[in-house]
Amino acid sequence: MSELISLLMPSLFETLYMVLVSMIFTILLGLPLGITLVVTDKNHILPNSVLNIVLSYIINITRSLPFIILMLAIIPFTRLVVGTTIGTTAAIVPLVVAATPFFARIVETSLKEVDYGVIEASIAMGASPFQIIAKVLLPEAMPSLVLGITITLISILGYSAMAGVVGGGGLGDLAVRYGYHRFQTDVMVATVVVLIIIVQITQSIGNKLSKILSKK
Amino acid sequence: MINIINLSKTYQKENNTVEALKNINMKINKGSIHGIIGFSGAGKSSLIRCINRLEEPTNGEIWIDGINLMELNRDQLRKMRKRIGMIFQSFNLLSSKTVFDNIAFPLRLSKVPESTVKEKVHSLLELVGLKDKEKAYPSMLSGGQKQRVGIARALANDPDVLLCDEATSALDPKTTKQILHLLKDINNSLGITIVVVTHEMEVIKEICDYVTILEDGEIIEEGSTTRIFSDPRNETTMHFVGSNHELPKEFKKGKVLYLSFIGDSAGKPIISKLIKEFDIEVNILSGNIEYIGGKPIGKLTVEVDTDCSKIPEVISYLENNNVKVEVIK
Ligand SMILES: Nc1ncnc2c1ncn2[C@@H]1O[C@H](COP(=O)(O)OP(=O)(O)OP(=O)(O)O)[C@@H](O)[C@H]1O
Ligand SMILES: [Mg+2]
Repeated sequence: MSELISLLMPSLFETLYMVLVSMIFTILLGLPLGITLVVTDKNHILPNSVLNIVLSYIINITRSLPFIILMLAIIPFTRLVVGTTIGTTAAIVPLVVAATPFFARIVETSLKEVDYGVIEASIAMGASPFQIIAKVLLPEAMPSLVLGITITLISILGYSAMAGVVGGGGLGDLAVRYGYHRFQTDVMVATVVVLIIIVQITQSIGNKLSKILSKK
Repeated sequence: MINIINLSKTYQKENNTVEALKNINMKINKGSIHGIIGFSGAGKSSLIRCINRLEEPTNGEIWIDGINLMELNRDQLRKMRKRIGMIFQSFNLLSSKTVFDNIAFPLRLSKVPESTVKEKVHSLLELVGLKDKEKAYPSMLSGGQKQRVGIARALANDPDVLLCDEATSALDPKTTKQILHLLKDINNSLGITIVVVTHEMEVIKEICDYVTILEDGEIIEEGSTTRIFSDPRNETTMHFVGSNHELPKEFKKGKVLYLSFIGDSAGKPIISKLIKEFDIEVNILSGNIEYIGGKPIGKLTVEVDTDCSKIPEVISYLENNNVKVEVIK
């Protein structure tokens, strides 16, 4: 048992590191992207159809690529960013590239749920577009955004198992190495159980937080 | 105060265009409550939303206090909008913020110091009668309370104008009255010019000094509320003031007259004198007194049983006594 734990622990930390760092960069990139998608719509506060259409296309194309292909395709880019193409840190690059457009769409959906009447009221009060984004759109969409972050986090966890197989480390890698190649079913099962627990915890924290934030 | 010149608004959607406003000219006096009424699709919302350029006019000028809003750039327009409060049918409160923070919102947009914000919000809460609700969230309030928050928020920047687009249309009749009285009080105490868009004549009757009737994007009649109620000239106006009296056929034997008594004529025994003087029979079909802007207007529908030769005399007798006469049949 303790052997199993000492086997699992490093992989668990690798996974958590990969997922959390990826999530941070995904939010940093995906949130502005999602906001831009919404506000540049022709019926929104900063209409710009060219930017809107171009962004939308890029996002759709990135999202069409299967993660495994995307990961291989951007190897030169990964090397450029982190200096290497193997290891946990290197896995973060394709994870962020894959999760950002996904998260941007989720942000878009959340922000579109904000009643446009409230935005109009803010315009009538003399709010600037930046004030509307920061003080109206984001706070009003926050409960929904938190759920979106939860979903994205769980998706990144799923991708991270795949990234692990090609040298990223983490729980996915462990499961494949021990469970699949060495037929140690107990390691495989233990890994899956840990993954299930992470997903459960993430989802319930997300749900709770969203509920606390929601004043509707 | 507000001067709208040659305003037109055309909506372009794919390949069909809607001319929502056609060459509108109107003046709204400082300190008055001005109603805009019309059927659905008449262009009322388009008109009021053009006043603060929430809807961009296709053509024309919007003057407020000597400033042409159409000539302002974005920054100037934002500053100007702080002088124009607006309330909405669906209240449009921020659901994530408390009543206090909702009312403080426009102040914080202008970076007013927090101590001033607190003072101002508390006085506004007092004004709209929601002192005990400052920590509540909008979802915990009734419709009437939400609109009170909307009003307080609209007044936070001490505006010169308050625009109300169907502000009471989502409320029950009793709450509507309360909100209308609140608006009237605000108009009296703060001297704010209020523009009210509605499809309910009750709203106009209750608080408006002047009224503009819109139909298909055009002004078909305008005037003081008293005049519009006592002497509606356009058919649509008559519909709104309820004087397109459709009487059952069996009543229409003799001449049916529709009389409006305005001012002191309401207090005189004009009908009984009429009967004596002309020796005719007068049958009263219906009657009521309405208070418009606090002034009584008596309305009477009567049937006069006489030959046609006497009718012109009867009418001129009534008109000499300040009674408006309309011959229905
Ligand atoms: N954003 C828009 N795009 C296209 N057409 C519009 C738009 N807004 C209004 N219209 C059209 O303009 C006309 C006037 O609409 P408006 O909303 O001003 O009427 P209204 O008098 O306020 O009606 P209601 O009482 O139903 O609110 C209608 O024919 C409507 O369909
Ligand atoms: Mg309307």
